Amino acid sequence: MNDIDTKIKERELTLYFGPQHIGMVGNFGITLTVKGDTIQEAVATPGFLHRGFEKMLENVRYLQGFPFVCRINVMDPDPNEQVYAMAIEELAGLEVPPRAHYLRTMALEMSRLTSHLAWLWAYGNELGFDTIGHWSMVQRDYFIDLFDMIAGGRVYHMYIWPGGVRRDMPEGFEAKMRQTLDGLEGSLRDYDSTFFNNRVFRKRASGIGVLTQEDALRFGVTGSCLRATGIKRDVRIEEPYAAYADLDFEVPTMTDGDAYARAIVIRKEIEQSISIIRQVLDKLPTGPAWNRVPNPFKWKIPPGETYVRMESARGELGAYAVSDGSEKIHRIAYRVPSYPHGILALETLLRGMNIADVGHMLLSLNIAAPEIDR
Amino acid sequence: MREETIKQDIEKRYDGSCVSVQRRQRIIVSVPKDSVFSLVAYMKEEGFGHLSFITCVDWIKEGEFELVYHLASYQDGIHAMVKTRIDRADPTYLSLVPLFENAQTYEREIHEMFGVRFVGNGRLIPFLLTNWQEMPPMKKDFDTEAYAERMFEHE
Repeated sequence: MNDIDTKIKERELTLYFGPQHIGMVGNFGITLTVKGDTIQEAVATPGFLHRGFEKMLENVRYLQGFPFVCRINVMDPDPNEQVYAMAIEELAGLEVPPRAHYLRTMALEMSRLTSHLAWLWAYGNELGFDTIGHWSMVQRDYFIDLFDMIAGGRVYHMYIWPGGVRRDMPEGFEAKMRQTLDGLEGSLRDYDSTFFNNRVFRKRASGIGVLTQEDALRFGVTGSCLRATGIKRDVRIEEPYAAYADLDFEVPTMTDGDAYARAIVIRKEIEQSISIIRQVLDKLPTGPAWNRVPNPFKWKIPPGETYVRMESARGELGAYAVSDGSEKIHRIAYRVPSYPHGILALETLLRGMNIADVGHMLLSLNIAAPEIDR
Repeated sequence: MREETIKQDIEKRYDGSCVSVQRRQRIIVSVPKDSVFSLVAYMKEEGFGHLSFITCVDWIKEGEFELVYHLASYQDGIHAMVKTRIDRADPTYLSLVPLFENAQTYEREIHEMFGVRFVGNGRLIPFLLTNWQEMPPMKKDFDTEAYAERMFEHE
């Protein structure tokens, strides 16, 4: 090795891996200090999507908050509506009819599916394997059509509402839903043979970005990243909301905690979501799909505070809401799942890693930048 | 009920604490500001090993900030909120980083959004805001509209 080579290998460089980088998904940034190809230090720099939703929610009436909350997570919007609605219901003492609980469960699982399928596209794309992405995005689009049918919106639905849901199921929806679920279930075999069981992917993901159980607990990581380390924890089981108490489903776990384990957990969750939606359709009770809410312009909610939580596609999503008795919320704070694993866990995992794995790690951890910024 | 046992335990150990079981799986603990650290350390040993998040509420009329620590127990499925009030005019408080590493990011956000300084947190650097010169924006007296008009002036 000559002198110049040695100098290049020992020189420390600061690289900015930001939203303009082709390997970056979404608006997020990481400042990397590298020596050769190896990362010495990584500092996450979020904030590109800071829209101040929590502040804006303090300035509008309760129902006017819905167009904001669904935008907290672009890929997985419905859980944010669900926690907001749950918080309002608990503060105001509003009842939700059983049919609405089932319809909410369906919307939440559809949202989880669209999020996981979009993740599969992005992950495949990131690893230079576009085929799987073309397939999964087609399936995702069918679910988006269903959202369009039931809520009137493709990306943001504002479907879940205090006291129930905004609309009941339209005619022909159930048949179309069953057909779409069958279609997705059929394609899972193709996803397995081309991607999840692909030798190239296995080699690329096994043993990379190992998050140990201790680290996951230390950083407060939840969701699929935690379940991939072998801890079976899911808010749907721990504190059932919507209709989850009546439904039968499994919580998939893996033990390795590496990128491959995380991918397999998400793959198995797709299967569970399909099963949950089928059960919802089978057991759907009759009756009203919503209870009337008071006049939104005069609706004052008694003083109080509450914390509600649920399991979104990425982990524990919660909202701490405080009412001071006026027609506007005094404070609402969102507990978002991407926060712990998007900052501290990511920075820890990237240390000592190759530059080529940065994008891989962002997707493997399933980080949603809009969630962190809010 | 596990919730009631925890309530009695905490009330016995910490003078001036007020524990209420809000409903199943929810406990609210209000304590004076000097006992939060030892209370959280005690609760961590009792199974509340997951710091879910930390948040701050601005009670401008009372001149106080309320810090709310959200702790969860995986064993019992209980979510506890530990609340304390600090002076709004000089908001300084003890960091929880020695107990929970992930407190670092939450404290960093509260420092930026409310101006609370956490002693013992070595990373209170800017988080979501860029080149922010105004008062911390989540404070109730920050006027969003006036700021927008000044910043994005229109004819």
